[in-house]
Amino acid sequence: MAVKIVTDSLSDITSDIAEGLGITIVPLTVLFGHESFLDRVTITTDEFYDRLIHGTVWPTTTQPPPSAFLEVYNKLAKETDEILVVTLSSKLSGTYQSALNAKSLVEEKCRIEVIDSQTVAMGLGLIIIAAAKKAQAGANLDELTGLVRRAMTRSHLVAYFDTLKYLAKGGRIGKAQGLLGSLLSVKPILTVKDGEMAPLSRVRSLSAGMDYLYNFVAGCPRIEELAVEYCTTPDEAERLVERLGSLFPKERIYRSTISPVVGTHAGPGAMAVTVLESESN
Amino acid sequence: MKQINSINGRELKEMLATATSWLEKSASDIDALNVFPVPDGDTGTNMLLTMRSSIEEAHLTGDSSVSAVAQAIAKGALMGARGNSGVILSQIWRGLAQGLQDKKSFNGSDLAGALQQASTMAYRGISNPVEGTILTVIREASEAGQSQVDSGSDDLISVMEAVVNAANESVANTPTLLPVLREAGVVDAGGQGLYTILEGALRYLRGEVEQMQFRKPQIIVSSIPLTVRLPQMIAAGEEIYGYCTEFLLKGVELSPEKIEARLRRKGKSLMVVGDDSTVRVHVHTLEPGNVIRYATSLGTIHQISIRNMDEQHRDFLEMQKARMPEVDIATIAVVSGDGLADVFTSLGVTAIVPGGQTMNPSTKDLLQAVKAVASGKVIILPNNKNIVLTAEQVLSLTDKMVEIVPTQTIPQGVAALLSFDYEADFETNVQLMKEAKSAVKTIEITRAIRSAHLDGLSIKKRQAIGLLDGELLAAGNNTIDTLNKILAKLDLRKSEIITIYYGADTELAEAEKVNSSIREQYPHLQVEVVKGGQPHYNYIISIE
Repeated sequence: MAVKIVTDSLSDITSDIAEGLGITIVPLTVLFGHESFLDRVTITTDEFYDRLIHGTVWPTTTQPPPSAFLEVYNKLAKETDEILVVTLSSKLSGTYQSALNAKSLVEEKCRIEVIDSQTVAMGLGLIIIAAAKKAQAGANLDELTGLVRRAMTRSHLVAYFDTLKYLAKGGRIGKAQGLLGSLLSVKPILTVKDGEMAPLSRVRSLSAGMDYLYNFVAGCPRIEELAVEYCTTPDEAERLVERLGSLFPKERIYRSTISPVVGTHAGPGAMAVTVLESESN
Repeated sequence: MKQINSINGRELKEMLATATSWLEKSASDIDALNVFPVPDGDTGTNMLLTMRSSIEEAHLTGDSSVSAVAQAIAKGALMGARGNSGVILSQIWRGLAQGLQDKKSFNGSDLAGALQQASTMAYRGISNPVEGTILTVIREASEAGQSQVDSGSDDLISVMEAVVNAANESVANTPTLLPVLREAGVVDAGGQGLYTILEGALRYLRGEVEQMQFRKPQIIVSSIPLTVRLPQMIAAGEEIYGYCTEFLLKGVELSPEKIEARLRRKGKSLMVVGDDSTVRVHVHTLEPGNVIRYATSLGTIHQISIRNMDEQHRDFLEMQKARMPEVDIATIAVVSGDGLADVFTSLGVTAIVPGGQTMNPSTKDLLQAVKAVASGKVIILPNNKNIVLTAEQVLSLTDKMVEIVPTQTIPQGVAALLSFDYEADFETNVQLMKEAKSAVKTIEITRAIRSAHLDGLSIKKRQAIGLLDGELLAAGNNTIDTLNKILAKLDLRKSEIITIYYGADTELAEAEKVNSSIREQYPHLQVEVVKGGQPHYNYIISIE
């Protein structure tokens, strides 16, 4: 029986990819006041950003309850006896804890491994994709666990934020704190380090930001997978994909949107690239 | 909500003890804030010792009326006062004791009244009161206490809450009032100490003594953005502080006023407080012997303490260095103008050495900064053609790994600093910064200091002249005209952002005119106007 792969909606894996690779996605919740939405299940990315920009209520987000994971585990346990769960960084959300707590409540006889990916967005998404491909090829749970742990060190996300405004409001910024308070309008370049957002550099314009993302990918020697994602700027993302086409086959570049949960902090206009380096032999 | 109508002398003693142990927990943090009047790093300790002396004296009194306890506290503070802040604290207690005279217990309205007296007395102890210090904090706190009473709610806790909240805001505001604090990137140490004592007292009233064991007082965050600057920069130059001389003078018919008048020219930070039988003297002097000799002619002297402040200052610098956040790679920029200094600070520069056109820093200034930063790898941004050479001298004078990114203008320095990559190594960062500096163009607009014929231009004295990357390129009747002449020579099609730093002698309104003029001509550009505060140059303009 093939191992089933579970992750949360912050992996930014599109439903097409999820279906194709047999990945189950547990959504986080986005709240506008008392209205609650399931991330990209009951609210689309566009609807979310529209409300973020024009609305008066500041959104908050919450982790899925353990029951959401339990439901998934119980359902999958009828089809398999091994489940691999990889969540976004436990430093950014309590999702990992929920996934872990639900594990002890499963009644079916089934081995479940829960891993804290220490990253987010396509940084997590590309790890999941790599694991799902191997699962389809017949790898067992122990092999997949090892693969995910190794892939975690090879997954590099670099993000461009168009504004610092949302980062400052959102709070959960870890080491990126140092980017705030600038007296010039600057656009931060961030990465995920040790499970938290960490500053890389700053640029002063969108085009300089896109140059940074491109140069980052150009500096990676062995690219196994590549992803580009955006919040509100599909055209800009497409231009970047075109440019990256000179470095990596364009049709193999994953395109996705940044989840509303991350977008609450990143703000409209944010974009990210993620490189999963291939394993050196 | 919990309410307390009044407390008696025994409770006042307990409150004092609670406040003192609360202060003790952050005494060393407060020491580290200490930059005014002398950066010698002992404010927290001095205030703590003063409070302890108060506690001892309070415990000696058998009388449990508030009046007697408060008198004892004040006496203890006077006897044990240490340092500037300790003496001011003793004045505060003295004023409080006066305000609580003849009272068996006190309520919120009594407290508010007594705090106002404390504030008056604190100011009276100082010959030249400075705002942005513990004095401002006691004044604003006492005013808030009084308005709370005037607004009709006068239970002790709500009055004390108003006092503590106001003290908090007041401390946060001290860097706005006192430039030396702002430069050092700290709030006032004495003010912080007083706030901590008041907060400890409030927690006692709220019945939180148990919880306090597991907590620590917080250092208040400034109301304006501050960044750590170098301790060396705080005390620029070779100022000699001399000896902190303190003693208690006992005698008969002493006159604190006369003593103060007599000692005024003997040193700095002079404080003479007390009454006709006991006077505490605190002064920073180069000749402690003369001060002591004079005092012994008036009576007997006790608790003499003479400390070498230059030595203390050195220890303080060492302590500051140990406390500075360790950075892997430090950046040092030469900048003049408070606005530009703020820009560099906000972009995360580790240290700023003041200087620029016509005020070049010495190699020694730069070397001192290199030594001071808590990193073995240092990048220097000279931001001026004439300083690049000076900066290069530093390389051979230190064991640290130092690289100069030869920025010749402020915009080049900003661009270089912005490109700093937090994850990259030293060499890569130097490379990135050098590349970034070349990607920016700088226009400087200033006034000709004399008439001249230069580079084919005929320039009259006081006429506006414009430089592009250091080369004189245009002269005109006014700044906008001159700027336009230069902009016309540039290909701005690929440029994106123009940042206008306006100088110390330039009005924001005029800078806004320049802004709209550029926007009209080049609608695709994003234009930003920032206060630079630089001398000489009306405008420094960056084109990226």
